[in-house]
Amino acid sequence: MELRHQVIVIGGGPAGLNAAKYAANAGCNVALLDSAPRLGGQYWRHTGIESDDQSRHHNFDQGSLLMDAIIANPRITIYPNTTIWSASVINGEVVLRYKDGAFITSRLILATGAYDRSLPFPGWDIPGVMTAGAAQSLLKGSGVIAGKRIVVAGSGPFLLPVAAGLSSHGGKVVGLIEAAGKFAWLPEILSLLQNPAKISEGLGYLLTLRKAKVEMRFKQAVISAHADSDGLLESITVANIDAEFHITSTYSINCDVAAIGWGFTPDTSMAGALGLKEEVAADGSVVVAVDENQRASSAHSELHIFAAGEITGIGGSALSLAEGAIAGLAAADSRTNLRDLKKIRRKARRFALTLQRVYPIALGWKSWLTPETIICRCEEVTHAAIQSAFTELDADDARSAKLMTRCGMGMCQGRICSRNVADLLDSPDADRIKGVYRPIISPITLGELAQDGLL
Amino acid sequence: MITFTFNGVELTAREGQSVAAALIAHNERITRLTRAAGKPRGIFCGIGVCFDCLIIIDGQPNQRSCITEVKAGMVVAVQDGA
Repeated sequence: MELRHQVIVIGGGPAGLNAAKYAANAGCNVALLDSAPRLGGQYWRHTGIESDDQSRHHNFDQGSLLMDAIIANPRITIYPNTTIWSASVINGEVVLRYKDGAFITSRLILATGAYDRSLPFPGWDIPGVMTAGAAQSLLKGSGVIAGKRIVVAGSGPFLLPVAAGLSSHGGKVVGLIEAAGKFAWLPEILSLLQNPAKISEGLGYLLTLRKAKVEMRFKQAVISAHADSDGLLESITVANIDAEFHITSTYSINCDVAAIGWGFTPDTSMAGALGLKEEVAADGSVVVAVDENQRASSAHSELHIFAAGEITGIGGSALSLAEGAIAGLAAADSRTNLRDLKKIRRKARRFALTLQRVYPIALGWKSWLTPETIICRCEEVTHAAIQSAFTELDADDARSAKLMTRCGMGMCQGRICSRNVADLLDSPDADRIKGVYRPIISPITLGELAQDGLL
Repeated sequence: MITFTFNGVELTAREGQSVAAALIAHNERITRLTRAAGKPRGIFCGIGVCFDCLIIIDGQPNQRSCITEVKAGMVVAVQDGA
């Protein structure tokens, strides 16, 4: 089946929702695609459970208003449960394949979002060690507390809503471990005060954590995890770390869940498959390069392809909403409110960069690794294997390391390990961008391909 | 409440929950064993990105338990080797 739409938006999070809304309000017929069953993305994730309390979500009112408006808009067609596995340009149009056929358009807005950034350490493959986002999605999506004794760790403002959400819904959070210093925000105070809404949201989480007596520890990190005889998480080793993330001393905590997040990694797979220009951002992540109107750079200049939200640089929901709105307007050739939106975007972008300076991720995490530490979880490739490919086989770029060790060749296609492998090999920017190139965006079975007549 | 089975044992779940969440609610944390080292794995990213929580659902292997909603009568089993 071939489906044509004037404008296609991929991703139903804040950026994609606003892009669809603004493009539709400017008169376009819009298709909004998402791989999940419900709109909202990771930020406004909500349960499919009837009569469930949705108060687990930050700013959910804003999100539900926006989602209701999208659902009610006759110019927007929503395609949930729709996973695109291939994106290409054929005869001057974008062709997006999913399991039942293809979507075709000449105006595309990518808002594919981000996922938790993970750093490897000994034992991070033990069941019970998960990302902060996983603990959050279990709670927000299914109303389940991830464990009985939970440590929330890593770095960045996202740890606060995760720990606060868990403890205010009856979870026992035995520690919130932040790598940055307690007063790391102080040098940025003037810049942070420009965004009072975010500051008051943060203070609200701190109040919740205080009430629940959650202990917050700073300049510390989880550096190894240990399993019991059943292979499940039993304890973690926590280290005091310096500014470079080198270990100065250690102690241990018993817990059955360690929910760890080191900020986020943009998922630019679809942009890469379409050959859009990508670059390496200040935080080391690969992002889609865009112009003032969120337009991406394509060799096919007749196409109008835009990118909005986390894939253009990690920046949070306010920035995503602004970028989505601008992309939606630009895709519809409208300029209504464009100046105001650009002002909001500028402010949100400044705030995002400030937060990146408060919560830097230093490369000293490499010193936490042992030779046996798994780096590629899918293919079970160890640190020693990557090191020996590097030193003995001269695999000094990510591609050679991949070919020799299989790291990044598993089902996740390097989404979890590629950034870490690039750091381990001190890869230049060009290698980092190649490392996230995935011509097949998500795995598809041969049976599904055959059904589509492509085999 | 609905019921499904995990490794032959009947468990309850709330409709709308993910398979991974329904299992964790019963403190079942292992979804698969790795194909090289045979090590246990469970939910990791929670949003369908990492493919660590693969599991067998109604005879189909390689299903992501974190983004698959549990249904009444589902037959779920640990995947040995993925």
